Amino acid sequence: MKAEIISKLNTYITSEILKRPDKTLSATEALISGGLIDSFSLVDLSLFVEQAWSVRLDDTELNAETFDTLEQLAGLIEARAS
Amino acid sequence: MTLTQILIFAGLGLLAGRLYRWLDRAWLLFAASVLAAFWLQPASFVRNLPYLLPLASLGLAALVWALTLPRRWNRQDAWAAGGLTALVLLVSASRFVEPLSALSPARPPGLELAAGGLALLAAAAVLAYRLGRGQAAWLNSGVLLLIGLLVALKSPPLAQATSAWLRGLGGQDPALASTLDLGWLGFSYIAFRLIHVLRDRLAGRLGEVGLRDFITYIVFFPALTAGPIERVERFVPQLQPGFVLDSAGLLAAGRRLLSGLVMKFVLADGLAFFALNPVNAWQVSQPLWMWLLLSAYALRIFFDFAGYTSIAIGLGQLFGVTLPENFTQPYRKPNLTQFWNSWHITLAQWFRAYFFNPFTRWLRGRGAPVWLVVLLGQLSTMGLIGLWHGITWNFLAWGLWHGLGLFAHNQWAQFAKARPLPLEPRLASGLGWLATLVFVALGWVWFALPQPADAAHVFGVLAGVGR
Repeated sequence: MKAEIISKLNTYITSEILKRPDKTLSATEALISGGLIDSFSLVDLSLFVEQAWSVRLDDTELNAETFDTLEQLAGLIEARAS
Repeated sequence: MTLTQILIFAGLGLLAGRLYRWLDRAWLLFAASVLAAFWLQPASFVRNLPYLLPLASLGLAALVWALTLPRRWNRQDAWAAGGLTALVLLVSASRFVEPLSALSPARPPGLELAAGGLALLAAAAVLAYRLGRGQAAWLNSGVLLLIGLLVALKSPPLAQATSAWLRGLGGQDPALASTLDLGWLGFSYIAFRLIHVLRDRLAGRLGEVGLRDFITYIVFFPALTAGPIERVERFVPQLQPGFVLDSAGLLAAGRRLLSGLVMKFVLADGLAFFALNPVNAWQVSQPLWMWLLLSAYALRIFFDFAGYTSIAIGLGQLFGVTLPENFTQPYRKPNLTQFWNSWHITLAQWFRAYFFNPFTRWLRGRGAPVWLVVLLGQLSTMGLIGLWHGITWNFLAWGLWHGLGLFAHNQWAQFAKARPLPLEPRLASGLGWLATLVFVALGWVWFALPQPADAAHVFGVLAGVGR
């Protein structure tokens, strides 16, 4: 389940945010603190998560402290979806 | 905080480490923070204000606690309310006891005014507790009240009128009112912590916090003067028993404290002699010298603010509380977006959480084009961050300058994603760093100079076209 979420997130981020569909992100790569995703794209990512898994990420959770990697975000989605 | 005050706090931290076996750390920090709210408050020419402003900070904290409490009050809350009352009365009684008079910058009012103020606040807190119960209307009213107070304090005409009104109440001449009268210590930070709690309660995300720990969170003395703006769910668990100040912890705290002291009192205060200001701006007509003044200002504002944060973090560590970082080498970032991820981090995060994210989400939900969402989101957020520093045109201009810069960087990043530049990555990163540094430095012209004519003159000289 988690691997599937990571794969879907990876596809969305590389194609829609980074505009590099050929790229594959590592599950532990720092997305926010590493500067890959800016604050605007983070809001878009949260809308995607809400649409894809019906999991709401609160406005106060869109920061590197809550999740900074695909692994952490997938863990959050998995925990809330169940 | 003065150097003496910082050293006294550090001494207390060393002493407290030996007392935790007998004295509960959470109660010690509660009492120290309440007393420090009075002790650190600057003096004012308005009668009784140096006593009433800290009392109002504590009163607002108690009020918001009562409004947001998700359970019934308990015995520990009653002890905390009793302790708060006793400490507030102790400061008032210090007018009669010579050794205690240092607790307040000016002679506190008599016990009858202190008791009256406390009774009023207690009645308001009880009312908030009975009526509030997490109801949106009351929580939103709390947010509006805090924003109203911020506007009244930070807008010069309103601050002047408020000062005149307070002078009139105290039987002083309103004609002597000044915007400098209302130096409410740490209110910008206190208000933002309180709004964060109210908004999280509205969203149903606020955990259970007792009155003692809540008051400590709002007026925690290392972070009272200049932040950072910690989140309540990160701060309160750190007050649990079990902390021991070992030699490694002492060393880490000492290092942090020392680096903060050097940044604030050596580097920032030293640079202040030749950093850009409204007077020396007109004494310089050569571009090179003006760039030097501006560079000194850019470094001074960083060392001053980052130094204060470092002092706050070091003091916090002495008492077993890890405060969040506010500055992570902002002047070394390769673009403006990363600069704002590392400059006044807790303020930027606050605005993202409570303004930018909901506003952007709302705009995206209405199908607005992406570029417009980014433009409106960045301009409004950065404009508000500017106004948080003071409701004057120059802070607004500084905020909008950065809003436009962030929008431009976003558009450039989108463009460059599709068409990568034929440049060595290190060279591209170096060019980005230089452009960001110059853009940020130019932005400080707005920040440093309240008058538009001063700013226009400085920009002219920097560009080599003015005199």
